Amino acid sequence: MSSARISGGVSLPDRGSSSKSGGGVISRMASSFSQSPVVYQGKRVASDAAFVTKKLLKSTGKAAWIAGTTFLVLIVPLIIEMDRDQQLSELELQHASLLGSSPSASGPQK
Amino acid sequence: MATFVSPPASTTATQPTGLKPTVIEKEKVDYLNLPCPIPYEEIHREAFMSLKPELFEGLRFDFTKGLNPKFALSHSVLMGPTEIPSQSPETIKIPTAHYEFGANYLDPKLMLVGRIMTDGRLNARIKCDLSENLILKSSAQLTNEPHMSNVMASFDYKGKDYRSQFQLGSGALFGASYIQSVTPNVSLGGEVFWTGQHRKSGIGYGARYNNDKMVATGQVASTGMVLLSYVQKVSEKVSLASEFVYNHMSKDVTATFGYDYILRQCRLRGKIDSNGCVGALLEERLNLGLNFILSAEIDHRKKDYKFGFGMTVGE
Repeated sequence: MSSARISGGVSLPDRGSSSKSGGGVISRMASSFSQSPVVYQGKRVASDAAFVTKKLLKSTGKAAWIAGTTFLVLIVPLIIEMDRDQQLSELELQHASLLGSSPSASGPQK
Repeated sequence: MATFVSPPASTTATQPTGLKPTVIEKEKVDYLNLPCPIPYEEIHREAFMSLKPELFEGLRFDFTKGLNPKFALSHSVLMGPTEIPSQSPETIKIPTAHYEFGANYLDPKLMLVGRIMTDGRLNARIKCDLSENLILKSSAQLTNEPHMSNVMASFDYKGKDYRSQFQLGSGALFGASYIQSVTPNVSLGGEVFWTGQHRKSGIGYGARYNNDKMVATGQVASTGMVLLSYVQKVSEKVSLASEFVYNHMSKDVTATFGYDYILRQCRLRGKIDSNGCVGALLEERLNLGLNFILSAEIDHRKKDYKFGFGMTVGE
């Protein structure tokens, strides 16, 4: 049994039906067990979960890529430039305090 | 057709006069002494400056040499892929390289700018003050290909608190616009145009609200375009801008947000679009007269990436 999904063009793999004719008792019992409804349902749920997880991972990956490159283009130069501007103003402040304090420091010595 | 009027909020400072009677009283608006408004075509000037930086792809090198206080020559080299409009959704880029030579003459009353490129295109602009209030502006673009050249001339008259403009263009294009200051902060204007070539005519209205801290503008045109913009000056160095464009004919809606940081050593402009476009332009001053430019544009929807760098030498 295969179920066709509409979106994304991805479809679950086709499950071939195994034949019950022929083979010994053990093989017939094993095939009957593997074709029981519980196991069948379990397999289907597991593959659906894997499908959904794969899709989620892909879309999260795409979103992370878009967010990452946008951050790189918009925010990183801004941070770098603001940091440089802050360094420059700190340097200027240092210079201003140095120049401002030196005449008063050399004053009382004379 | 709706006349768009931006909300005329009470702009003159309303101080709480009940608490401190010595505080400056509400200034009486002198309606006969309103300031001269911005020209109608520059009504969105702040928003366009912040949100539409000149993003480019490839290498750009500009050298401007001043021979005189009034006269300057400029050499410019551009190398990079240029897009050609194609019918398929894929963008086709062709690498091109050209050199552009230009000359500028600047006078308080007369300004002449000319540029010529190696592929045979000539750009010329003239701005002449015919009298104190009348300005003549003309621009021409001549190319090798037939039927691709055009000339445009406009006469601007600046009144006490209004401006009017009359425009003539090649291909039988006539246009007129008028803008008037209504209060010290609000100005309203309108324009009409008529093209002979396509037999189209249109009318549009615009409004602008100006404050020390923000500028809000709106424009409606009969071509089905609605443009709203808002620029807020957050501090001396930072301003944020946003713009909303709606085209009724093609049902196109675009919203853009951007920032503009003017720091001492650099100018950084970034914008993000609702079409999935992200762009940034960084102009950094390395030395006196030496500017370094970096440009980046990422289009997530079309997966089109454009990066460029350049240098500008000269004042």
